[in-house]
Amino acid sequence: MDKKTVTTISYLSRLKLDAEKEEKITNDLKNIIEFVDQLEEVNTSDIEPLTNPLEKTAKTRADKVTANNLKEELLEIAPSSNEDYFLVPRVVE
Amino acid sequence: MISKKEISNKEVVQEVYRLINENSHLNAFLTLNEESSIKKAQDLDNNPSDYSLAGIPIAQKDLFCTKGLRTTCGSKILDNFIPPYSATVIENLENADCISIGKTNMDEFAMGSSNETSYFGNVHNPWGDKLVPGGSSGGSASAVAAGIVPAASGTDTGGSIRQPASLCGITGIKPTYGRVSRWGMIAFASSLDQAGPMARTVEDCAMLLNEMCSHDLKDTTSLDENIPNFEENLNQSLNGKKIGVVKDLDLSSLDNSVLKVYEDSLKEYVSLGAELVDISLPNLSLSVPTYYVVAPAECSSNLSRFDGVKFGRRSENPKDLEELYVQTRSEGFGDEVKRRILIGSYVLSAGYYDAYYKKAQQVRRLIKKDFDDAFSNVDVIMTPTTRGPAFEMGSKGSDPIQMYLEDLFTISANLAGLPAMSLPNGSIDNKPIGLQIIGNFLEESTILNFGHMYQTKTNWHMHTPEGLKQ
Repeated sequence: MDKKTVTTISYLSRLKLDAEKEEKITNDLKNIIEFVDQLEEVNTSDIEPLTNPLEKTAKTRADKVTANNLKEELLEIAPSSNEDYFLVPRVVE
Repeated sequence: MISKKEISNKEVVQEVYRLINENSHLNAFLTLNEESSIKKAQDLDNNPSDYSLAGIPIAQKDLFCTKGLRTTCGSKILDNFIPPYSATVIENLENADCISIGKTNMDEFAMGSSNETSYFGNVHNPWGDKLVPGGSSGGSASAVAAGIVPAASGTDTGGSIRQPASLCGITGIKPTYGRVSRWGMIAFASSLDQAGPMARTVEDCAMLLNEMCSHDLKDTTSLDENIPNFEENLNQSLNGKKIGVVKDLDLSSLDNSVLKVYEDSLKEYVSLGAELVDISLPNLSLSVPTYYVVAPAECSSNLSRFDGVKFGRRSENPKDLEELYVQTRSEGFGDEVKRRILIGSYVLSAGYYDAYYKKAQQVRRLIKKDFDDAFSNVDVIMTPTTRGPAFEMGSKGSDPIQMYLEDLFTISANLAGLPAMSLPNGSIDNKPIGLQIIGNFLEESTILNFGHMYQTKTNWHMHTPEGLKQ
């Protein structure tokens, strides 16, 4: 975990770190990764990963409309919208 | 009193708002629901209801979406968010005619163990002004401990119900993963998150849990299992029941006084007829590092939805779409949330995925298997809930790992998906502390039974902080 890695994962996370906090955060991340590195020593050969404690595949339901259309309510709470769409800065010139 | 008409529902609700104002220094509430609550109380006065929670004022953690009522999750990025729908848990409680008094303060996105990460400032523990209430459900715990409300909702991803319950001297239960619908809960780590009740007594928790649990088609991990009446088995005798005592638990870092409280509780259970059985959970010490891979990974994925486009706060005047995303997230999230998103992105990125994420999920299976083996021989497992009583704000310094270790005893139940509760079992320097009871899969009734029987013999759950404004 170095400055370059932090720059890469910040980009992947769409986060920009304040210059004065960057060193502290880099150092924190380094310590956290060192802390979780103790898992390395555990013998996990032939152990299936456990992704979810229920170990059930997601259930599917009949393809029927069950929710009300909240279009107006959802557009109303958006930072910027018109009658039909969420608005963002122009992407294509 | 209400049924005898000695006091009206409206008077009860007005009294709750008076107490909230009198105790505003606790900073336990972020948004109040005063107008609707008084109206609902009046409706209940005019048309009395037979539902189990009729007229009971309940504080709701600000992580649950509440229709028409601001829901911030303790974050700046949601400080203007008014959901157009309510979480299933909220609907279930309100369908039982409880009154949702307001939304309680919490660590930002439930990431913290002291309430120090809330954008809206610390919650104070009623047991001492400089003391943290624990976290992340610190506002809910503080409001119950201060006697403002009889009960509150909470959520628990690594201990966020049990640890604040321990530090504030109240009772709280995290149910089996899948018992309570996660629909409308703002997601932190989807394979660990679970909602549950916080109240003074086990009996009250059981009453709330009866309403909170449901099979919900809107949550694909919601369990389609029989939901028992959790109040039914509370008084069952503990004669011959077996309590697992974890022999490889590292208690060396605990204060002698903390150990004594724990051991006294075990003795109390022996006097109730239960038997102590040594058990081994050899991978328990790996639960904190496992959690700090799994939870950040899931959080980095879940929190990608906060992009300033569809809801919540958006940064001003971004020059393009990329800058809109980056500025909105950088301005809207606090440091702890950023740390966890970054760790998550790291452990999920190409080249590190197998070494961290896959590895942690393999260790997670080992931890779950330890519990499966242990529960073949015991009814419940007991540990202290926390390493000590409430600590002072700022005292954990700036090293995040010190705070992470706060959840040493609670995290494993989330990794294994098991139900677990904390109940008050002692006091150290006039600060409460809790006992953790972990149950087998779907065995909430068993741990509630153990908890309730303890509360029939002891009165730690009735202790209240001195000097409260009443």
